[in-house]
Amino acid sequence: MNFKSIKWRLQAWHGFLLVALVAGLMIGFYSFERRARLQSIDKALQEVMTSLLPKLSPAGNGRHNGPGDSRGFRRPPPPEFGGDIPEQAPGGFRARAVDGVDLGKFYYASWSPEGRVVSISTNAPPNLLPDERSIANTPGMIRTAGINRELTHHVPNGFRVIAGTSLAPMVAQLRQLALWLVVIGSSIVIVGSTIGWWLASQALRPIEAISRTAEEIARGDLSKRINSSETESELGQLALVLNSTFARLDAAFEHQKQFTYDAAHELRTPVSVILTQTQSTLNKERSPAEYRETLEACQRAAQRMRRLIESLLELARLDAGQETMKRVRFDLADATRECVEMVRPLADERRIVIRLELSPAGCHGDPERVAQVVLNLLTNAVQHNNDNGAIVVSTNPNNGFSTLIVSDSGPGIAPEHLPHLFKRFYRADGARTSSQGRSGLGLAISSAIIHAHGGSIEVNSNVGDGSQFTVRLPLA
Amino acid sequence: MRILVVEDELDLQRALVRALRDEGYAVDSANDGEDGFFNAKNTDYDAVILDVMMPRMDGWEVIKQLRKIKRTPVLMLTARDQSRDRVKGLDSGADDYVVKPFDLPELLARLRAIIRRSANKTTNQIELGSVVVDTAARNIMHSGKPVELTAREYSLVEFLALHRGEVVTRTTLYEHLFDEDDSTMSNLLDVHVSNVRKKLGPEFITTRRGHGYCIE
Repeated sequence: MNFKSIKWRLQAWHGFLLVALVAGLMIGFYSFERRARLQSIDKALQEVMTSLLPKLSPAGNGRHNGPGDSRGFRRPPPPEFGGDIPEQAPGGFRARAVDGVDLGKFYYASWSPEGRVVSISTNAPPNLLPDERSIANTPGMIRTAGINRELTHHVPNGFRVIAGTSLAPMVAQLRQLALWLVVIGSSIVIVGSTIGWWLASQALRPIEAISRTAEEIARGDLSKRINSSETESELGQLALVLNSTFARLDAAFEHQKQFTYDAAHELRTPVSVILTQTQSTLNKERSPAEYRETLEACQRAAQRMRRLIESLLELARLDAGQETMKRVRFDLADATRECVEMVRPLADERRIVIRLELSPAGCHGDPERVAQVVLNLLTNAVQHNNDNGAIVVSTNPNNGFSTLIVSDSGPGIAPEHLPHLFKRFYRADGARTSSQGRSGLGLAISSAIIHAHGGSIEVNSNVGDGSQFTVRLPLA
Repeated sequence: MRILVVEDELDLQRALVRALRDEGYAVDSANDGEDGFFNAKNTDYDAVILDVMMPRMDGWEVIKQLRKIKRTPVLMLTARDQSRDRVKGLDSGADDYVVKPFDLPELLARLRAIIRRSANKTTNQIELGSVVVDTAARNIMHSGKPVELTAREYSLVEFLALHRGEVVTRTTLYEHLFDEDDSTMSNLLDVHVSNVRKKLGPEFITTRRGHGYCIE
């Protein structure tokens, strides 16, 4: 179990927040409830006090609180106190209830200004004392004495009264409430965490799917794709991006594989020439002329392999961007003129006319590499031309580019071949093997060189109408 | 036995032709698919060795067209060795498939095998009474003793042995024993037949006048 995983972290945060929230709520609820209960107790005490006060006033005699005060306290009865509170207190007081007021769970006591107990209920806690803090004429003060809640009243004439009640039932109820709150709170936390865990799992499931697929792809199965059905969501977008990356990787690998495969089997033909030639020659004694013929055939095969290997290495260097291109200014027309002179003998052999329309076209780049491209295009134009055909070569500056156009009067290229013409090892004539030294890499290399210059190369052709190759190089 | 080699790589074609001639086959060659198909259509070869990658008409197309008209055994020769290419080759009607670069002895063995299969034989040994023809070793035993035959004589015996009981016309024999380069002298065949009879007994090859030759 990885506790550093996003899922666990989410869960930890979620759990922490949930516990804090629930605990806060519960504590708040508990204290609110406690306060409300205390308030209602206090209110009840007030009511008890209100109902007690007139009844505790000594009937008939007694100093009145004021001219308008008809509810003044009676003088306390004579001191007959001896610790025990008699059932029938002097002055006609009953201890438990005051004339129709059912005191129930409340108790009371009153003291004369001298501190003698005037009256006390039987359910009053022992050692009940008047509130010393109470000051004359203070209408009432709440105090908590131990488990009891008491309201003290200081009557202006010096009598002091306490009405109280036990908080025990409330404490018990609150304890019960607290227990329930803990149970409910824990349940909420547990259920909430479970839901949180489930939600996190739900939310993270696409990520897990992505990482599983990515793992499979990393293990080598490049054909795998992430399910990206929910294209609207953020993860769907991520999946789409990853998928297109994987597709590009897959294509690149496939391309690489095909290239290696093609390269390997381009070598098959020359190797089989050497093998078959030598095996058949060594079968029996041959004449020197026959040995010579065999050796020449082997030499041709070896030279072809050498050319192929050189082309492959050149492409590999171009691919890796290792081929350092010179960056100098030169005239495309001059470079082209030199190349034309090189292929002219080849063209003359087949009575092919080369017409030049060269305008000065300065460009920026590696003149040797560009010449290689021009030579390749010219050689193709001669090789794929008809005898007595024609080639037109033109250069001119045009739209920010120097343009070279090589047109031939050959048989042309069928439209289905055109998109593949610059692909490696692609041959429009279907012949893999060729003793003319063509490797099927010439146009691929040319294209790579021109693109390394930031230029472009393209072909136009109609069957029966010849082909036209156009090279554009950035102007100097 | 007459073989057609269709291969556009000339150095390879020449080496194959020489090796096959050394084996006693009569050999014709073609440099591209179109010529190859033309030859294969017009001559009854005992087998065709056909390259796949060729200009003008590739090997697939040649075998497709050829299979519409002939059952000539065809051995495909190719630089492609991916499984689907082999399947394509065999499905399109090739009898066998050899990948470049091949081993010459293996190619020759496969060639013998497809010729043997086309003659409905399962072994290289053909027994004709006291005479045994071994088409792999290319030798003939008469009553347990080896018999010295020239390559052409052997080819004659082998061809008649593979078509045992059939009357083989002189034209057919000329077609299968001599290639385009041989100067066809009309009595050359008779010379070979009479030489074989001298070595294996006068009754070994019977003459059906007006029809041809036969091994009973």
